[in-house]
Amino acid sequence: MQLIKKKRTRELLLIWFFIAPSLAIFTLYRIVPLLWNGVLSLQFWSPYKLPEFAKLYHYEEMLFYDDAFWQALWNTIILMASAPIGIALALFIAVLVDTQVRGRNIYRTIVFMSYPVMTVAVGIIWQWLYNEKVGLINYVLISLGIIDRGIPFLESFDLALPCVIVASIWQVIGFYMIILLSGLQNIPPSLYESAAIDGATAWMRFQRITLPLLKPSIFLCFVIGIINSFTNFDLVYVMTQGGPGHATDLLITYIYTVAFKLSKFDYAAAMTIVNFLFFLGLALLANKAAGGEAGAIDVGK
Amino acid sequence: MKIDRTLTWVFGAFFALAIIFGTATAQAEKTLTVLTWNIPYFQDGFTKWVTDFNKIHPDIKIERLDKKGTEWSTFYQTQVVAGTAPDIIDVQGGLWLEYAAKGGLVDLTSYLKRDQDYTKRIYPEILKGWVYDGRNYGVPLYISKTLLFYNKLMFKEAGLTEPPKSFDELLEYARKMSKGEKSGFMTLNFDWLYWPLLAMNGVELLTPDLKKAAFNTPKTVEVLEALAKATQEGAINKISWTGRWVEPNGAFAAGTIGMLHAHAPAFLWFKSKAPWVNEDTVGATHIPGGWSTPNSHSMLISKSCKYPDAAWDFVKIATSGEGAYALGVGTNNLTGDKIVNEQLFEYFTKNIPAVVPVLKTQLEYLDKLCGNWPAAKDAEIKEAFYPELQSALLGQKSAKAALADAEKKVNRVLRKR
Repeated sequence: MQLIKKKRTRELLLIWFFIAPSLAIFTLYRIVPLLWNGVLSLQFWSPYKLPEFAKLYHYEEMLFYDDAFWQALWNTIILMASAPIGIALALFIAVLVDTQVRGRNIYRTIVFMSYPVMTVAVGIIWQWLYNEKVGLINYVLISLGIIDRGIPFLESFDLALPCVIVASIWQVIGFYMIILLSGLQNIPPSLYESAAIDGATAWMRFQRITLPLLKPSIFLCFVIGIINSFTNFDLVYVMTQGGPGHATDLLITYIYTVAFKLSKFDYAAAMTIVNFLFFLGLALLANKAAGGEAGAIDVGK
Repeated sequence: MKIDRTLTWVFGAFFALAIIFGTATAQAEKTLTVLTWNIPYFQDGFTKWVTDFNKIHPDIKIERLDKKGTEWSTFYQTQVVAGTAPDIIDVQGGLWLEYAAKGGLVDLTSYLKRDQDYTKRIYPEILKGWVYDGRNYGVPLYISKTLLFYNKLMFKEAGLTEPPKSFDELLEYARKMSKGEKSGFMTLNFDWLYWPLLAMNGVELLTPDLKKAAFNTPKTVEVLEALAKATQEGAINKISWTGRWVEPNGAFAAGTIGMLHAHAPAFLWFKSKAPWVNEDTVGATHIPGGWSTPNSHSMLISKSCKYPDAAWDFVKIATSGEGAYALGVGTNNLTGDKIVNEQLFEYFTKNIPAVVPVLKTQLEYLDKLCGNWPAAKDAEIKEAFYPELQSALLGQKSAKAALADAEKKVNRVLRKR
């Protein structure tokens, strides 16, 4: 008994020994800044003056007076909610390229190609595609006689965000496809064969076999989609800089504007805390959806 | 085991010595850091500045940093927060106001009063652009302000012979030149650069005491409605209200814009992209009324600078005499030094004649500079005002509603701490 206890202690020590460097870096670069950020959000702070205690001034300002903050939060939620569209499209493509179609490797490569492209380049490409006067999309629509005048996609308060979402989905769809494709290829073909023998239609096979067994892959794509919606700074910054107005501002771009363009680090800190809490809530929900054991370490019992 | 221990001791001693001597060397060396704004190619001239500076301060080393416009402010602010702010900074537009208002810059008023030989060389109207709360915080490094570029080929095609002379004429000409992928007019919008369009109609942003919004008037509603209508019709290209630098200047370079309201540096930028641009195809003039928004670069000294007197000497070298001439030639700009500019015009006439008409506009109508308010919250006011203006110009809100919302927001910015 004592021997087992000693062995377990030694194992735990070894685990701590190995994770200690990462933990130290994580604490230094994540936990400490987060705590400092919390302190900053309760102060009137400027690099040139002594800080003053501000109570909840910045939170009050943000929640009751700052329309742009709410718009940015709403846009972030919309972008997040658009993740299933990308996943559904990726799933459709993955199922297509998983069949014995000729040249499937070429199709896979073509779909995946958008993912390694730098986000800045993606932004510039789509910016030109959407251009009202010389953009390819308008050119095609005018040539087909669907419209008679170019649509100002990125200059429109109503269309700018959907346009950014399309670009964002286009960029990540290849990555989703690879994840889903590997999930599809892990499903034993015997399951489909026996279902077919039992008379299941293609749709039933997809619904009863493919979808349930793909759940972990779909979940992973969903998590990536949520993270993307919070961190999609570069795409928005290049395509619209959050405009027109604040129509495409995400929390992350608005925080940047407030901190570095308006020099209001204290106010930006308060927004970062809200952003963090929102994200934390989502992470807890996601963890619950995954069975509450995501990231748990089994040290042997 | 013994070897391991010996090695540990040797390395330990080596690092300890390195730290001690490294620190000692760093402490012994006097350094001034200079942060420039997107002129990494300006090497020879900068070396000349340093050489001239070291003639009077041989004990001070100059270190140079250069950042692109898009990252300059982020970089400087993080350095300020880290306590390692560059000593001398080259700043564009009104960014400096925030720093000055928060006490982050050295007041140069006494230096300017003391060094009259220097001060007399600088255009007083331009120097005034860096005054906040009665104190002067900066001096011009190179100067630029907005003007109207016009595509002579498109003018000819539309049967137009000369640039517009009034706001109404500007919109009328824009309409005449708009067709298909072509737009009649485009403006840059960052840093209040669009303000001459409002200034020529007598619109004021703030009251003279800078304490309240003054723009919500029937005249402004009328002007915004006219601009919005022209934008909806395509006479004014919508990128005017959303793009920054590359998109509008790129569109002009593509030959599809009749008139471009931009500041002088735009000329050499779009010329480099468009072989068709020359004196016969592109004209440079003032926007009706002669109004313009300055977007000059200035040199300022951070409050944390340990050697402000020496930093001032460096600033003088860079912004006047031979140092300024080197900058003008190296960056194809005019400087704040009147005498140097005369020499620069000789140089440009001989070497880049196409740029001369553009640069001439930069020294005219210096009494009609606008869009340059010495308000501490310049950036915040801009952030409160512009999205509302955009919503009116792009047809999201009526001009009246947008101005009312903008007024509310700007007044709140001015009221709060």
